Amino acid sequence: MNNPSSGAPLLELRQISRRFGGLQALSEVSFQVEAGEIFGLIGPNGAGKTTLFNLLSGVTPASSGSIHWRGQSLQGLSPDRHNRLGIARTFQNLRLFNGLSVLENVLLALHRQPQGHGLDALFNSPRFRRRQHELQQRALHLLDELGLADQADRQAGGLAYGDRRRLEIARALATAPALLLLDEPAAGMNPREKEQLCELLAQLRQRHQLTLVVIEHHVPLLMQLCQRLAVLDFGRLIALGTPEQIQADPRVIEAYLGGSR
Amino acid sequence: MIDNGLLVQMILGALLGLSVYLPMAAGQLSLATPAFYAVGGTLAALLSTQGDTPSAISLGAVLGEMLLAAGLTAALALLVGLPVLRLRGIYLAISTIALVEIVRVAILNLPFTGGATGIFGIPQPFQQPLGYVLFSGSLLALAGWLCQRLEASRLGRSMAAIRDDELASRCMGIHTTRVKLTAFVASAMLAGVTGVVAAHYLNTWNARQGSFDVAITTLAFVILGGSRSWLGPVIGGLLLTALPELLRPVGDLRLVLFGLVILLGPVFFPQGLITPALLERLGRWKP
Ligand SMILES: Nc1ncnc2c1ncn2[C@@H]1O[C@H](COP(=O)(O)OP(=O)(O)OP(=O)(O)O)[C@@H](O)[C@H]1O
Ligand SMILES: [Mg+2]
Repeated sequence: MNNPSSGAPLLELRQISRRFGGLQALSEVSFQVEAGEIFGLIGPNGAGKTTLFNLLSGVTPASSGSIHWRGQSLQGLSPDRHNRLGIARTFQNLRLFNGLSVLENVLLALHRQPQGHGLDALFNSPRFRRRQHELQQRALHLLDELGLADQADRQAGGLAYGDRRRLEIARALATAPALLLLDEPAAGMNPREKEQLCELLAQLRQRHQLTLVVIEHHVPLLMQLCQRLAVLDFGRLIALGTPEQIQADPRVIEAYLGGSR
Repeated sequence: MIDNGLLVQMILGALLGLSVYLPMAAGQLSLATPAFYAVGGTLAALLSTQGDTPSAISLGAVLGEMLLAAGLTAALALLVGLPVLRLRGIYLAISTIALVEIVRVAILNLPFTGGATGIFGIPQPFQQPLGYVLFSGSLLALAGWLCQRLEASRLGRSMAAIRDDELASRCMGIHTTRVKLTAFVASAMLAGVTGVVAAHYLNTWNARQGSFDVAITTLAFVILGGSRSWLGPVIGGLLLTALPELLRPVGDLRLVLFGLVILLGPVFFPQGLITPALLERLGRWKP
């Protein structure tokens, strides 16, 4: 898993479809995401963006088509397998562990760090406490990167909305992903906060060697952040390309401005 | 008012409360505790009444039975847990009630478990109730210590996360199936060894010991005591086992009062008696 078969893109979607009863939420979507890029996903409400993330994170199976991660099919793998292969996500409607502290939310996700032996935990051995301390430091460092270190001991459920969005990112980052799927990370933030988040995402990509796929309704922000974008409309991929190409695409303008939506 | 005999029952109640609590700490409403309790009790009854039954049994033999019961219930829980833990909420509760019924009917009808009357003359490791108080008390202390360590460990934290949001836990790479199964197996083992102690203490064992009512009363222990810390079910188990006995002077009215406590407890203490806020306050008092 650690040596990606050379040549294969990091992530490849081949003819992905998903239907819910009579509703075709995604139809035959194909595109690739290359390692290291920031990839934007836009589209009107109900276009199928979140559904696509659910497929990419193993939460929902595709009705047809296949998803390939570093050249290998992800078919039938559970969400926890997806995560351990290096795909992490955040949730549009915030799914933090609200009963746990901010720090614990991040600690739980640090599963790639060696955890030490169960017997050490049982007897609270010095080695166990040292290990706990190291893990805490790591978690605090991640919280610090997201500007949440001073809230570490608070209950996650009690945070302000924007802070909860950032904690979602910190928690996903703690799983040490190669690909991070962000579902409307700036929702509910004011323009200034959005701007700051944008800068932060670019920094995080550098520091953690991430590939990012970002869903966001605020299109100008995404145009500025992303190298490439995909546009979904009624479950179909209607455009794919650089921000300039997307801006000039008549079908995109139609989807966003035209029609009787 | 509380004699040693009642104290033993209270401690056994607390142990069963902990057994119901463990899966619940991982968000799983399992009512299977009486099934594993019955398996442990029946195992002890059968093993210790082989041949010409002596009236006493060595403590070593009882410990051996507990070890066997732990192994047997763990194996059973692994077998049942894998399919059953796929179910959620009320469906899991219903299927574990079915397990309790299956075990009860099996014990009732097996050729060697004494049928409806059960097994009598189970030998005693202690001649005085005080012996049982100390022994079951040590078991409770050990179980409490293990739970305390569990809550400080990654496994315990993963259980809390699953309870909060199972899907998010999976998306953060937590092996949710493994964690839930571990909690279920631990719960079964605890119920099994408690059954062994109970069988010797009660001196007799039959299929009724592991019936549906036990599932409801032990669930009440956790609901009244609270399920946010292992102390909750312990307090709930101690109190609710003592209550019917303490209320004995009021006659049949005690059952009504007992019912009221179960009914109104959650209304006035929705989080149970032992809440996170209370624990935090207690924690701050510590030197
Ligand atoms: N589990 C489900 N069952 C049935 N229909 C679903 C399910 N999930 C999504 N849908 C439907 O699929 C369509 C796409 O939904 P999705 O959430 O992917 O849209 P979206 O692009 O994320 O929209 P938004 O911008 O509002 O978040 C919608 O019509 C939605 O109602
Ligand atoms: Mg969405």
